[in-house]
Amino acid sequence: MDRNQSHRNRRRVLKTLHFTALFLTMMIICIPGLWIVLNSFRPTVEIMAKPPVWVPSFTLDHYRAMFAGAGEGGVPVFSYFRNSLIVSVTSTLIAILIGMSGGYAFARYRFKGKNGYFVGLMLFRAVPGVALSLPLFIVFAKVGIIDTHFGLILAYVAMNVPFTIWLTDGFFRQIPKELHEAAEIDGCTRWQAFWQVEFPVARSGVASAAIFAFLTSWNEFALASQLTRSVGSKTMPVGLLDFTAEFTINWGGMCALAVLMIVPALILTFIVQKHLIAGLTFGGVKG
Amino acid sequence: MTRRRLPEWFVLLLPAIIVIAAVVLIPLLFSLYSSFTPYKLTRPSTLWKWVGTYNYEKILSDAKFWAAFGRTVLFLTIVLNLELLFGLGIALMMNKVTWGQRTLRTILMFPMMFSPILVGFQFKFIFNDNIGLVNNVLQSMGFNVALPWLVDAKLAMFSIMFAEIWMSTSVFAILILAGLFAMPRDPLEAAKVDGCTPWQSFRHITLPFLMPFIYIAMTIRSLDVARAYDIVQIMTGGGPARRTELLWTLMSRTGYVDARMGLANAMGYVSILLSILFTIYFFRKLSAARAELGMAG
Amino acid sequence: MTEVTLSKVVKKYGALQAVHGIDLDIKDGEFVVLVGPSGCGKSTTLRMIAGLEDISGGEVAIGGRVVNDLPPRERNISMVFQNYALYPHMTVRENLGFSLKIAKRPEQEIVKAVDEAAGILGLDELMDRKPAALSGGQRQRVAMGRAIVRHPDVFLFDEPLSNLDAKLRTQMRVEIKKLHQKVESTIIYVTHDQVEAMTLADRIVLMRDGHIVQVGTPLELFNKPVDTFVATFIGSPPMNLVDGVVQGDSIVLNGSVSVPLPVSAGKLTNGQAVKFGFRADNLMPIGHAVEEEGAAHEVDLSVTLTEPLGTETLLYTNMAGVEVQAKMFNPRPVAPGEQLHFRLTLDKCHVFDAKSGQAVRG
Repeated sequence: MDRNQSHRNRRRVLKTLHFTALFLTMMIICIPGLWIVLNSFRPTVEIMAKPPVWVPSFTLDHYRAMFAGAGEGGVPVFSYFRNSLIVSVTSTLIAILIGMSGGYAFARYRFKGKNGYFVGLMLFRAVPGVALSLPLFIVFAKVGIIDTHFGLILAYVAMNVPFTIWLTDGFFRQIPKELHEAAEIDGCTRWQAFWQVEFPVARSGVASAAIFAFLTSWNEFALASQLTRSVGSKTMPVGLLDFTAEFTINWGGMCALAVLMIVPALILTFIVQKHLIAGLTFGGVKG
Repeated sequence: MTRRRLPEWFVLLLPAIIVIAAVVLIPLLFSLYSSFTPYKLTRPSTLWKWVGTYNYEKILSDAKFWAAFGRTVLFLTIVLNLELLFGLGIALMMNKVTWGQRTLRTILMFPMMFSPILVGFQFKFIFNDNIGLVNNVLQSMGFNVALPWLVDAKLAMFSIMFAEIWMSTSVFAILILAGLFAMPRDPLEAAKVDGCTPWQSFRHITLPFLMPFIYIAMTIRSLDVARAYDIVQIMTGGGPARRTELLWTLMSRTGYVDARMGLANAMGYVSILLSILFTIYFFRKLSAARAELGMAG
Repeated sequence: MTEVTLSKVVKKYGALQAVHGIDLDIKDGEFVVLVGPSGCGKSTTLRMIAGLEDISGGEVAIGGRVVNDLPPRERNISMVFQNYALYPHMTVRENLGFSLKIAKRPEQEIVKAVDEAAGILGLDELMDRKPAALSGGQRQRVAMGRAIVRHPDVFLFDEPLSNLDAKLRTQMRVEIKKLHQKVESTIIYVTHDQVEAMTLADRIVLMRDGHIVQVGTPLELFNKPVDTFVATFIGSPPMNLVDGVVQGDSIVLNGSVSVPLPVSAGKLTNGQAVKFGFRADNLMPIGHAVEEEGAAHEVDLSVTLTEPLGTETLLYTNMAGVEVQAKMFNPRPVAPGEQLHFRLTLDKCHVFDAKSGQAVRG
């Protein structure tokens, strides 16, 4: 009986420990983000208050100022949001088309040096954005597409294609090849078989690959900070720096913009989170 | 009937190859060339002057470069190992949870969705020595201090690492958790019956099974190690007085602030090689682990 | 007229040759089964007929038209796959109608053809379900329905029953046979299961290592196997084979037991090394045998193991040092070690050359 009792006690202690540790982890994950959201609704005086004010008051001033646009030295958030949206959506669509075609090639065809091609493509993804931005800056300036949507879209497509290939390769591999064979026997061309059968079956996977590409573009800073200069092409991550002057930082305004940046990302992730994980692991494990 | 055509797989890969060649390969070749010139943005004619390995000799004999390089390698080693450890820990804890697992997993994904620049800003705010959350909490608890989180060399490195780990641990946790879900129960139950302690069954059964998942996470992370640039850039900008200078911030300062593109590109190549080495290393580990578990397709 | 003709068809994967120039004529409306152990090239051959694999050499003709370079969609064939390959994102109705939709047939015609196929296969209740909500047997039926909707010239079946459990397999076998009687199209069917081949085929094509070993009706293959491979592959339990040497009018098995030469045996030389083959059905204890005419040889053998199957019992005994199987009808309990008096029907015995394995027949 004693042994039983001690085992039971130990289990109870472990359970408490487990709960505490999990709770702390979740706090650490959540608090920074919540803090930003909270402060985007607090007046600047309160943010800067010394000693700190712990009972928050509520104001929409920062959002009002943000959406009021470029007047009175404000930050043209609307333009940045629009730029981000145009660049991210367009580059995602193109990257998905190109990446899907590449992923299909890896999943369905046998050819010499397949692994070499695959790793080679991935290595291009590994090139640090900063290191790439230097020559890209010069080349784009020469070609005359610096500070344009087109230039940034092009760069993001190239950046997203390798990882999209990785993910879509995994999704297409999950589909038995008999499916397109059956479609071909049912009278499809290979092209029809792809769009009528394989694409609809892999649709959710492709969607999650698209969201990955979108998030990468939406969040990218290193390239955008060098390839864009003006209000007409700057994206939100670059615009975030507008709030910092030499010695002062508009904390509340930055928080508001941060919230604007994170909300679309969160919504998208929420929608496809299940496929996201499946895609990542499958693409990798069975690769 | 014997028309010679490009193989279909090649046609399918062609768009990807073209885009990457145009946007990554050609600029990289250009930067390789310019790393052998004293190219300055302000004086374009310098592009045509060949100086051989001068830039490389210069950076290799530059103490500031080596300090940044060493700091970068140290940074990556510490950060990646901690992320793996925390990720593994979180995944194991989550696996034991009996209720609300889906909600917890969704929360776990939050940091993955944050832009690195946003993460940087967020922690710049929280670690601010005057109005930051951390110091405010400390002061409210009665410690009469204002720790210079982003100014002191050690504290600044700590803050940056904290931000980086906060951002990237989720990748490990989520992939390892997926591995745990995919794990067959029989071997674990057999081990229990055979008298393994929890630690033994973790060490000899769970961990080997998780290895491929860990390597996937590592590979995905290694594709993106340079994201830390965004964080450092906004939190400290490599300062104060270069105390948090990493390879990437040094490079961008040399290129854009000092306009010494040739020199910066030489540094760029060092950083590219570093990234590629990381990636290849984990790719090989991944293939080996896959082959071992017979998952190769 | 949709006969299928293969002439000198070859399949190579790089240096590896999977199919070695096979010739085969399949008549209109015939049910032909390609059977053989895994890796014998039967599936590859089928896939070449379907157009899913390139043909490395020789010619495939369907209905007198060479189709070597035609894509599958231009061959007017349909195929049932081992894992069914149903389109998971479509309902049963959409699965059935897919080929007609692709062919841009009018809506009415599609509905009619789909309903007809559903009626034949009893799918009416399932039309709006997705494949994931179907059982194995139902999926199998949908796969067959998808094949018949189009009224193709040739049906191809690639091991369609191997994913089903034993009971369902027997049932589906009957349905396939009925289906053939109804549609009267040419069917080429691949399996590794000799029972399926025997029960379904008009003609069996037995393959090994990329070669055709024997072509014939099920009974031809059963009664007149051309070599030891066919003899052991077709029939269950497999034919007993015992090494022996020809001596005059008899064969001495393993230097111990002497058995008279079967009448059917062809030219044999004295001292030739042979394999003597007979089926369990031709070695029966006296008193428990099916009445047999013709020459017989009687032996005493002791039983080592029994497998009662109800109407018959399979007896394991030992003949000249080799384990052989015998059958006992109207069985009674037999204790291991018990000696029984057996009757070996010589007319049904086979002699194969020991070296080549070829049957020696008159």
